[in-house]
Formats: sequence, structure tokens, C-alpha cells
Amino acid sequence: MFDVWKNVLEEIKKETSREKFTTFLQKTNLISTDDGEIKIGVPNVFMQTNVRKNFDKNIREALKHNGITVYSTEYIISDTNNNIRKRAREVVSINDIKPNKPKKPLISNTPTKKPETGLVTDYTFDNFVIGTNNDLAVYTAKAVVDDPGGKRNPFFLYGKSGVGKTHLVQAIGNAIAKKNPNLKILYVPINRFYADYIDGIKTKHPENFDKKYGSLDVLIVDDFQMIIGKEKSQEEFFKLFNEMYLSKRQVIVTSDRLPDEIQDLDVRLSSRLTQAGAYDIQLPTFEDKCAILQAKAEYDGVEIEREAIEYIADNVKTNVRDLNAEYEKLVAFSELRGVTPLEIINSGYARPATSSSRNSTTPKKILDKTAKFYEMDTKTMLSRSRVANICMARQVAMYLLQNELGLSTTKIAREIGMKDHTTVMNGTKKIEKEMRMNFKLREDINLLREEIYE
Amino acid sequence: MEINVDQNKLTKALSVVSKVATSSKTTLPILSNVLIKAKKNKVTLTTTNLDMAVVDFLPTSSSKDGEITVPARLLADFVANLPKGEVKISVNGTKITVSSGKYKSMMNGASTEDFPELPELNEKKAVIFKMPVEDFKNGMSAVKIAASNDTTRPELTGVFFNTNEEALYAAASDGYRLAEKKLISNVKSEVKAIVPASTIAEVLSSISEDVEEVEILFDESQVCFRMGEIEITSNYIDGSFPPYRRMIPENNEIEFTLDKNEILRVTKLAALFAKEVGGSIILETSAEKGALLVSSVANEFGENVSEIEVEVDKNAKVVINSRYLLDVLNVLESDEVKFGFSGSLQPIKIENADNQDYTHIVMPLKG
Repeated sequence: MFDVWKNVLEEIKKETSREKFTTFLQKTNLISTDDGEIKIGVPNVFMQTNVRKNFDKNIREALKHNGITVYSTEYIISDTNNNIRKRAREVVSINDIKPNKPKKPLISNTPTKKPETGLVTDYTFDNFVIGTNNDLAVYTAKAVVDDPGGKRNPFFLYGKSGVGKTHLVQAIGNAIAKKNPNLKILYVPINRFYADYIDGIKTKHPENFDKKYGSLDVLIVDDFQMIIGKEKSQEEFFKLFNEMYLSKRQVIVTSDRLPDEIQDLDVRLSSRLTQAGAYDIQLPTFEDKCAILQAKAEYDGVEIEREAIEYIADNVKTNVRDLNAEYEKLVAFSELRGVTPLEIINSGYARPATSSSRNSTTPKKILDKTAKFYEMDTKTMLSRSRVANICMARQVAMYLLQNELGLSTTKIAREIGMKDHTTVMNGTKKIEKEMRMNFKLREDINLLREEIYE
Repeated sequence: MEINVDQNKLTKALSVVSKVATSSKTTLPILSNVLIKAKKNKVTLTTTNLDMAVVDFLPTSSSKDGEITVPARLLADFVANLPKGEVKISVNGTKITVSSGKYKSMMNGASTEDFPELPELNEKKAVIFKMPVEDFKNGMSAVKIAASNDTTRPELTGVFFNTNEEALYAAASDGYRLAEKKLISNVKSEVKAIVPASTIAEVLSSISEDVEEVEILFDESQVCFRMGEIEITSNYIDGSFPPYRRMIPENNEIEFTLDKNEILRVTKLAALFAKEVGGSIILETSAEKGALLVSSVANEFGENVSEIEVEVDKNAKVVINSRYLLDVLNVLESDEVKFGFSGSLQPIKIENADNQDYTHIVMPLKG
């Protein structure tokens, strides 16, 4: 259809100087002619002004000669493939910002925050990747959304820093807000809670504090472990917690450890916080990490090789936050250098700085560390003893050999000096099952993992 | 049209505008002309290469309305060679007469009709920043060295102006190095725009000594730099600049500061021996010696090792292109410079020791 444009240009070419033609018209194109509204693509604002000034008349004439109705012409800055250009620059003047219209941030990583709730709308269930490390927590979180203040009240979520606790509780808040726009929801880091409380006393307006916290339907408290040593705010929190709990309003608490591991925490508060269970997010496994990165790449529309994803997953041992940081660094390098992420890795650049290589762990290291962790020597652990704690240590070692080194059960059997690989299978399965129920065990295995890679 | 103007002022103005006119690569002949326009006692000189336009507001003693275009280079050279005093320019049809005392010449001009029209800047919608000329000059000189010449990746051939956390930054990168400068703090507007490095170079060379402030206007489709009587308007570069901030290492395993002139000297020495190997030199910290060793790879010319005393607690070694190192050392302002290493293939961070407004990252070479 746009052969028409060729004819138009040919016609104008005859009427104008060669220099003028090449300067102004060579990089133009026809975008659309619908309803006689002609849209013509030009490379930049300079051309826009001058093509209109010099050639609008000729273009209209030539189009008519080619049987096209012309009511209006519009010159649009676009690239040669007819794509109206993705705006290369974005400019927002303070003059443009209307008082009642919140300014939309242009930089995409700036999350949109609803100040009154403390919720960041970017954190949703949709962009939270579910894996074996967090599936139970996510499942329960969704149950909280379905029935705030119900069976899952309070919802206590714990896990190491950077594994996604904040994301998950924010997602709960956002989902509840979407479902029940009338509910009053507040997300606060515990430090904010503390500061608000102190402010109330200092300014002699404790009613401000009550106003903010008194009428909430959902309270989300982040980083609860920071309450250590702040007795007054502990008391105040306990009071608020009880009030909310008794009137069946939802309380959500995150912490990097279980309540009974928080120093000097009131025992009553400690037990109430976990009365509906304590849910944890573990460090992601290799597969979880791959899934997280894959989802992120799809979300960002970034092309990244499977090998590159595995490389990052393999090398970042710490947490999801670091995982994302490494991924973003790699993608940034790749975009800047104009090569694929894998090529960046192969060139040796952008090696995660915070990692020791996966290969640096050996079966021996795992066995020694596990034995040491359970306060026995390696020989004892590998003996055939049926004493409960020795047996347990042995099974944990099997589990780690399987999950950290990806060894087959036969190989594991050989490493620990057993003939039968079914013993190994039973052992690892038992640990897996146990881990679902036993927080202490999960915690232990996590600590062990860290030690192994130290 | 008739203009009476001081020879010195006219020479200065023409030298600025004629650079853009004669540097034009296009074949449109009128682009080598300067547009002279007099209206209500305001006289402007304008040149353009269709990517950029320079306008000079000429202070005149008297003028009569009218306009014409004449070959910019010819006029500039002629006026530059006139004696000091008043120059009179008068126009008759497409002919222009320039006279000063006993000197007089007539040039063939062209009508202004064919001269490209400059797109109007939407000043109301534009985001406007003002900054002291010294800050602007230092910042731009330090950033533009990292811009690329590779036209296959046009977005890297510019300087990326962007706001982040209420500050205006300028950044440039050729994929091997990256420079970023914080230009203004407490900025309320938001901007993301890539300005061609060639425009920045033009702007820098057009700032005259008596100017104290630069005004930058970003509108939807073009940017304008105003400095005194001169105004340079330019197209943006289309495309998006890579999310470079993630590449700036936050913490480095090893950091040390040293005297700029000393590292500059030893880098030059090592570079002499590094010509064969594309300029690559080795920087090595030694905790035992408490020193930074700068050396060249041994080759047929010989080899070179220099030692600078520094406080370091770890050993590290990086191979770096000496030209990149010299480039950044030459634009750093403080006498002490800070280096950060994080491993032999991790980006090397170089900053002024006394402030963090400017950050320069160089990718090391494989040893």
C-alpha cells in the first residue's frame, strides 16, 4: 500500500533540487492515510518543521495524483520502520503537575507508593515467584487475603533478610485493599511504629498515635525483630495487638527470626504472635532461583540465555535481593556493551562479587561441616549408629549432598560408606518431610548451608 | 537591512556560528550560510546543520530591519581581518556590502526563504535548569570523555541527562567506561534525554568568558543551551540509555587514595612502553610494600615499573587501558584521587578524593 509514498517522492523529486530532496525527504515515510488524515513520519523535530514548511503543498498535490484523499496532514517524529518512536526522552515540568493528579514517576524502578497505607503497589502476588522455599507461606498468605482476621490471624512470617518477606506481606496488603477498598490498611516497619509512639509522647499529642493505629482493619508490621530493647513500644504493640486480635482484625508480622529468639520479648506476646502458626521463607534452592530469574526476565521483556540464568543462580548464594541485583547488573552490562548476557559472563565481566563458586564445596566439606554442626566427629556421624541425633546428622548430610551438589543417591551412598542407595533415598525424604513441619530443622539446615559456603 | 556593529563583537559572534555552518555534512548549499536577521533593533546570526542550530544575539549600535543569508566562513574570515572599529553591513537584494573605514567588500548572498526554519521551543512546557557556568563546564568536560564514537549504537554517542532522587545527573559511556556527574541537587522536575556529545562539545567551545550562568531547557523534542548572547538548540538522540546505575559498584574490596599528579606521571611513563599492546598497563596493589605498582607489559621496547606509596591492606591486580586512565585523570579536579578495585575483572572506580559528585568507571582488560 505504501508504494504510494515512492510515487509521491518521485514526483516531488522532479520538482525540487537534488540536495533539498536528499536533505529533507529521503528519511520520510507514510504512516497512514485513514479517512483522509494523512500521517507522515519524519526523523526529528527539525525535519518536522522544515518538511512541513517546504513540502506540505507538494506532498498534498502528489498524494492526490495518486488517488488519495487529503483532508489534513500531520508530520510525526518516527523511525523509518513506521514505528512512532518510543519517546527517547521524557520530560515532566513542574508546571505540568496538577495538584490533584499525582505525578507518575518516569523512572521505572521508582515504586508507586500510596502514602496513607504505606503500601507499594508494585509488590503483588503476580510478580512474586512461588518456589519450594516459600510455597507454604504464599498459600497461607492467600488464605489471609480471603479471610482477613480469620483463622490465619495473626500471620507471622519469618526468614532471612532479602528473601522476599516484605514483598509477600505488601502483596497481602495490596490484594486485601483491592478486594475490600473500604478496609483501613497500614504497613509500617516496626521502627516507624516506635517513632510514632515516641512522637505522640514528645509532642504531647498521643491522640495522633491512636488516630493512626486505633481504627485499623489490617496492620502489617515489618522487621519486628528490631523491637529488641524498646520495652515501652513492646508494651504498646502488645496492647494494640490484643485489641486487634480480639476484635478479629488482621495482624501481619514479619521478622528475621522466631519470636522466642528475639531477646527479652514478653513471653505472652511471643506465644500469641505464633498461635496461628509461624510461616517461613527459606533461601531459594537452585531451581527456585532459576524460576525467579526467568520470571523476572519475562516480566522485563529481557532476552537472557538459560545458561546465563543458571550461572547467576549458581553463583549467588545469599538471598533474593542479591540475586536480583546480580541479574540487573548483568543485564545492564549486556545492554551497554550490546552483547548478550551470556557473552558478558563468558568475557569474565560482571562476576557476582558476593559469591564463592558452587564448585568450591566438596562432599568432604559438607560431611565435616555437618558433623561439626551436630557436635560430633565425621567418623561418628558416618558410623552405623542408630542413636537418634547421629542418625539425624547423617540424614541431614545426605540431604545436603543431594541438594547442594546434586549427587545421585548411589554416589551419596558411596560418599558416606553405605552399600544401599535406598537408605539414602529414605534418609533424604525423611528430612524433606521433617523440614515442612519442623522450623528448627529448617533453620539448622539453613545455617549449615551458610557454613558450607563460607 | 543595515547594521552597525563593533568589529570585535562581530568577529566573536561569527567565529561561534560559522563552526556549525561549515561543519555541515549535508549537501544542501544553504547550510553553509549564516542567516543575518535584523528586527526592531535586535540582530541575530543563525546557522544550522539540521541536527543543531546556533543563534547569536548580536549587540549593535544601530540597525534597520531586514534579513539575508551569506556564506558564513567567508564573512567570518573577512570580518576577522578588518581593523578594530565599527563595521557596517548593508543589503541590497541578495547582495551584501561589508565596509569598515577604507575596506569594503561585496558578497553574493542568498534569500532567506530557503534557509531551514528552526523548530520553536515550547518554553512553557520545557523543563528549565540553571547552573553556574564553571560547574557546567567542569561537569560536561568530565562526562563527555566517556561517550562513544560508534555510530552503530547512537544512544551511546550522547550525554544522558537524567534525574534521580531529586538531582540532575549527566552520564556517558562507550561500553568500556562510564562517567557520571551530579550537576544539580534538589531538582523538582524530571528529565531523561540523550543529547549528542557533538552538541555538548559545541556548547563548551561557544561559552565566552564573561558568561556566568548556563540555562538548559529540555522540551519534548529538543534541548536548548543558553549562555549569554548565544543559544544552541539541538535534536535529541533517539533510543534509551542503558540502566547504567546498576553497574557502579557500591563497595569496593580495596580502596586507596593517591596524589593525582604522581599517578598521572607514572601512567604516562608506563604508557610509553605499552604502545605495542594497545596501551594496556598493569596496576597492582601490594599490602607488604604499602604501594601501588604501575607497570607495562614487557615487550620489544623494554619494560617499566613505577611505585607509588599508598595505604592498602590487600593485594590486587588489574590490567587497564592507559588512555582511559589518562583521560579520567586529566578531568579530575582534586589533587587526591580515590581508586576502588573489586577483583581483576570487576569495574574500577575512580573518583575525586574530596567529593563523590563525579564517578568514573573503567572496565579492566583481561590480563
